[in-house]
Amino acid sequence: MARSGTAVVLEDVRKTYELAEPVHALDGVTLEVSRGSYTAIMGPSGSGKSTLMNLVGCLDTPTEGRVVVDGQDVTTLDGRERTDLRGTQVGFVFQTFNLMPRLTALENVALPQLFQGVGRGERRERARELLERVGLADRADHLPSELSGGQRQRVALARALVNEPAIVLADEPSGNLDTETEADVLDLFAEFHDAGTTLVVVTHERHVAERAERIVHLLDGTIERIEKLESTGEPTSPPGPGVGPRSSRDADAGADGETPGGDGGDRGGDDPTSDADGPGTASDDRDADSSTTDRDDDGGN
Amino acid sequence: MNPLEHLRLSWRSIRGHKLRSALTTLGIVIGIAAVIAFVTLGASLQAGIIGDISPDDQRNLYGWAADPDAEGGPLAGAQPVVSQDDLAELERFDEVAAAYGYATIQTQAVSDGDERVAQGDGLIASGPSYVREESLAEGRQFEMGEREAVLNPAAAEQFESNVTVGDELTIVALGGQQLSVEVVGITDTAEGLSPFEGFEAAPRIYVPTDPYYVEGAASAGLAGGDGETDDPGQSADDDPSDDVRYLAVVIEAQSATESDVDAARDRSIAYLESDDADANEFVDDEDLEVTLQTSTELLQQLQDVLDLLQNFIVGIAAISLLVGSIGIANIMLVSVTERTREIGIMKAVGAQNRDVLGLFLAEAIVLGVVGAILGTALGLAAGYVGALYVDLPLVYPYEYVALAIAVGIVVGVLSGLYPAWRAARTDPIDALRYE
Repeated sequence: MARSGTAVVLEDVRKTYELAEPVHALDGVTLEVSRGSYTAIMGPSGSGKSTLMNLVGCLDTPTEGRVVVDGQDVTTLDGRERTDLRGTQVGFVFQTFNLMPRLTALENVALPQLFQGVGRGERRERARELLERVGLADRADHLPSELSGGQRQRVALARALVNEPAIVLADEPSGNLDTETEADVLDLFAEFHDAGTTLVVVTHERHVAERAERIVHLLDGTIERIEKLESTGEPTSPPGPGVGPRSSRDADAGADGETPGGDGGDRGGDDPTSDADGPGTASDDRDADSSTTDRDDDGGN
Repeated sequence: MNPLEHLRLSWRSIRGHKLRSALTTLGIVIGIAAVIAFVTLGASLQAGIIGDISPDDQRNLYGWAADPDAEGGPLAGAQPVVSQDDLAELERFDEVAAAYGYATIQTQAVSDGDERVAQGDGLIASGPSYVREESLAEGRQFEMGEREAVLNPAAAEQFESNVTVGDELTIVALGGQQLSVEVVGITDTAEGLSPFEGFEAAPRIYVPTDPYYVEGAASAGLAGGDGETDDPGQSADDDPSDDVRYLAVVIEAQSATESDVDAARDRSIAYLESDDADANEFVDDEDLEVTLQTSTELLQQLQDVLDLLQNFIVGIAAISLLVGSIGIANIMLVSVTERTREIGIMKAVGAQNRDVLGLFLAEAIVLGVVGAILGTALGLAAGYVGALYVDLPLVYPYEYVALAIAVGIVVGVLSGLYPAWRAARTDPIDALRYE
């Protein structure tokens, strides 16, 4: 697999639904998500958040523009290849958890690997390992209906990670959770982010978005502005974004295209490149680490 | 994704809806069970009847003359036309080993010394070789012209002092006439020896036509007075004393090979329909047709009726199967709609269309096959009970068991194809939003 520095690139993406009259759900969006970054997407209803999620998640194809996931242009893939890419490189976390009701937690986590043809024993081993990481090893044989909301969302997160995807998409991950559980789940997100997972979280709520490194504000199908946050909001985690320098350079190309989307010009921090530069020298050490393969170790400790 | 995984997941969702799945398969269960049960009974019945035909019986031709339009089993519409002379003539042909008449004589009772038992029509008059050597448990065949009898075990056991070879019995004929017979043999089966008798077990006493039938007919003034005649007055106008006529005849071919049997048949029919035969005066006048058939051929008619009945029931069962498959298709469609969200989840996490198709198809096939297996088990059990009840040798039609499983798979595929296809092309975006 060609590990480019960016997990996802959107280039001047437009999505038009032909209803009674054409509806422009996305109207020229250019965005880059670098590996290991943590992006929040905010915006009112109808701003195009869901459409953006569907495009990044390879569930849908744009009317115009390019969507590149893990180095592959989604628009050139046929349905089966797109499903393959989605299965291996994208992990989904939904507001309503979307676990298979008749499968146990373990089987739910193992489900994506089932469709990749991974053997049963290996699947279960991998799923158990991930359940352990989300702290649910003792709930492996429970059905979703026997789990609390927070536990279900953790199972969903474990499932999203099982194939080591390039990106994890979370759609209102804490929308159905109470405040305390929400904090737990968001802490877990931060933990995985520290371990090198690329996260994109769609949310209505400011305090959820503030956990990310940057917030992309969508409005009427365009990027209104990109707000860069100094810290991930997780006090214990280091501020480093975990993005390699190589990726920063790659991202430079896309940075120019991003500015028309919003008022990012006066902020200067509207692309992942700036994030990497922001924290200064401290992040350089981390960058060096994460460009090698020991990302997981880095965050797990 | 391998087929085993499909099955595992499908089984999971079937078990998730136990009652629904059970009701869905019921149509298949009933259809398959009906087919298996009736085919088992049919095969057992066939084995029961065909099995009763001893190999030596294969060379016997059973004959009668009847209106060609008469329908039914052996002797339907038969008229007493064959004379004693005709039988003697027939026996003279090289192709014919033996020819004798067959008649049942109505009786009132049979006594062994002081012991007397009522007996309706257990007296069967025929030629000596009618009771075949190998069906004798003890003693010998009776001889023509002698007052001798062979009993079957059921007849012998009627008496408290079991009748044995050498005993004298007194038979009271319908008219009150007393006939004495000496028991010379006991057969080994209570079942009938030819299709004329029927195959059910009953007490039977076999005697020679001469003197019992000849005398009886003469004294009754009726050549055909054996009770089975539809029109007993048929030959009453003739001189009864020397013109004894038989309703039914048995002609033995030289061997059981088809050519010998056919030769005997052709020769006998040619003779009976020729002007030389006494029988011909009736055969010609009344447009009767002489029929000569072996047991197997006679049973073939019965077999045809059985087959027809069996096909009819299988047809009804097929309708049940059709209804069953519609049930599966219907429930699968409901299931697809109900699980739209699950389909969306599976597709979101990387399930290809063919995976989803496979899952739902596997589910339909499992329903079909489980139905077929249960139906087969139920059908075999019903066949067993039925055969036990009717007292038939149990014969399982194993090829039908394989066929039933195949039908289950086909039903599953056919009824699952469209729902599975609908599931496969579900759009994951819509499906995930589905409430």
